[in-house]
Amino acid sequence: MNKLIANEMMKLVARKRLLVIGAIVGILVILFTFAQYKEVQTQREKLGTDDWRDSLQQQIIDMQNRLGSSRISDDWREQIQVSVQQLQFYLDQDINPSEPGAVTFVRMFIENSTDLFIPLLIMIVASDLVSSEHTLGSVKLLLTRPVKRWRILLSKYMTLLLATSLIVTMTGLLSYVISGIVFGYHGWNAPIITGFVVDGGNVDTSSIRLISQWKFLLMDFGLVWFVAVVVGTLAFMLSVLIRSTAASMGVMLASLVSGAILNNMVSSWESAKYFFMVNLKLTNYLNGVAPPITGMTLLSSMSVLLIWWAAALVLSFFVFTRQDVY
Amino acid sequence: MLGKKSVRYITIIAATLSVLWLLSLGWAIQDYYAGATDHVVKKQDRSQKTVIKNHMFTVVALGDSLTRGTGDDSGKGYVGYVADDLNERFNGSIVVQNLGINGQVSSQLKKQVKQPNIQRQLAEADIILLTIGANDLFQQGRTLENFDLATIKTIEDAFVKNITTIFTDIRKANPDATIFFVGLYNPFIDVDETGVTSPTVRDWNRIAEEVSSTYPRIVFVPTYDIFQLSVNDYLFTDKFHPNQEGYRLMADRIAPLIKWEGESK
Repeated sequence: MNKLIANEMMKLVARKRLLVIGAIVGILVILFTFAQYKEVQTQREKLGTDDWRDSLQQQIIDMQNRLGSSRISDDWREQIQVSVQQLQFYLDQDINPSEPGAVTFVRMFIENSTDLFIPLLIMIVASDLVSSEHTLGSVKLLLTRPVKRWRILLSKYMTLLLATSLIVTMTGLLSYVISGIVFGYHGWNAPIITGFVVDGGNVDTSSIRLISQWKFLLMDFGLVWFVAVVVGTLAFMLSVLIRSTAASMGVMLASLVSGAILNNMVSSWESAKYFFMVNLKLTNYLNGVAPPITGMTLLSSMSVLLIWWAAALVLSFFVFTRQDVY
Repeated sequence: MLGKKSVRYITIIAATLSVLWLLSLGWAIQDYYAGATDHVVKKQDRSQKTVIKNHMFTVVALGDSLTRGTGDDSGKGYVGYVADDLNERFNGSIVVQNLGINGQVSSQLKKQVKQPNIQRQLAEADIILLTIGANDLFQQGRTLENFDLATIKTIEDAFVKNITTIFTDIRKANPDATIFFVGLYNPFIDVDETGVTSPTVRDWNRIAEEVSSTYPRIVFVPTYDIFQLSVNDYLFTDKFHPNQEGYRLMADRIAPLIKWEGESK
């Protein structure tokens, strides 16, 4: 088994996929760092002060003014109400919700990439783990070995898990190193408020806790990794079912993008919460952002993802061990 | 081509990372559902917070949609025009904090000025601009529809109480800054056939001015006369908020009154 995994890892490294992913992440992080830097600058010019409290106050006032408009939908109004209350809480506690520094940047970056960017990166690896063997024709060589088919697939799956961990870590490291050049390598101990309970348009602050940013970041990474594994497994399944890499990538991409769109419009379609794509933003639960459909919780989202994960895994092994190869 | 050894290292690192993230995941769930309660946030003692006065001339604007600038196509409102004028005279060294909220009534403003951060910002102010009361009195036009003197009297009494608290709180935060309290105009002067609204607005302004005069350094700025003769020229299409021209005239009243030692001669 170890040798099989080593063999698969060798293929992964030799194909330089990880380097390509690293390059993509690097370029995007540079772009976002620059954008963030520009935004901070214009904010400073507009308000004329460096005090984060002033800009946070202005943000709250702007939201409150938007609430006064009669043209916004109820969902949107609730979202804004929740944000206003949370920001006001930060302000009252004299805590900067976005303490400048590389660590905050990593947190923001990783939270915003859970539902699309990181899954896409994983997909680059996962989508052709199996199907590429078909395309290259090397699957026959692989299967003629005196090794059980499920072991071959398992070794591929283990490789996927290892690659997922590497990609998630790489994203975190690269964004830390690159953004730190501009924002400075600090913010590990900045306090973060967690434990907001959102109920309709109201925020219950009774169970609120303060934790250090590095702890919060670790939890974020745990959740992001979980999402990456689930999405990777689904892409892996497609790679087994559809022998063409391009087609399996296309299907996966379509479902991920549809998830991003659905998130904004499913609030009244309750059974949509069983789709895996609307459950990808797990980090929102830690931040106290209202879920796209009321009634969704961290546990329910994780259960839905787990079921999809298990089903994908069972189906992959079932099909791979029975498939005719020609 | 990487050697067998480095592939092995990569594999080991990846495996360690997998374990790390898996543990983090477990921790996240555990913390989310059974978070330690010993870190619960307590109300902070905010009295030690020091106010660092910046060297810029600071304008803090409080109040309702008039402060916000609703109805002005450029979005500036009278606050924006006052700021433009000051920027020119003071060589651009001014800071404006516009805290106006659309539809705000005096009871809401009363709560707003009690917030610790608002108090801090008020303390940094060199002048304070204030519009409040229009939404109390007109209630989006409802007052005019069911005109009743007794109701207006109760609204007025509540307003006087609120504004007294507001002034007291502002003065507590900042005893020195001049407050420009902008009075009401009558947006319904043209559509009101019975002629009852104008005396009401005038009366309202008189009371507001009286309350202002009991505090030091509060300037009551009348606007009634600006809109008295040709109200439609200076109103936005909603026939309630001023338009760009109306805001400009309001700003022209206030801006010349503001003086600063940093002013260029």
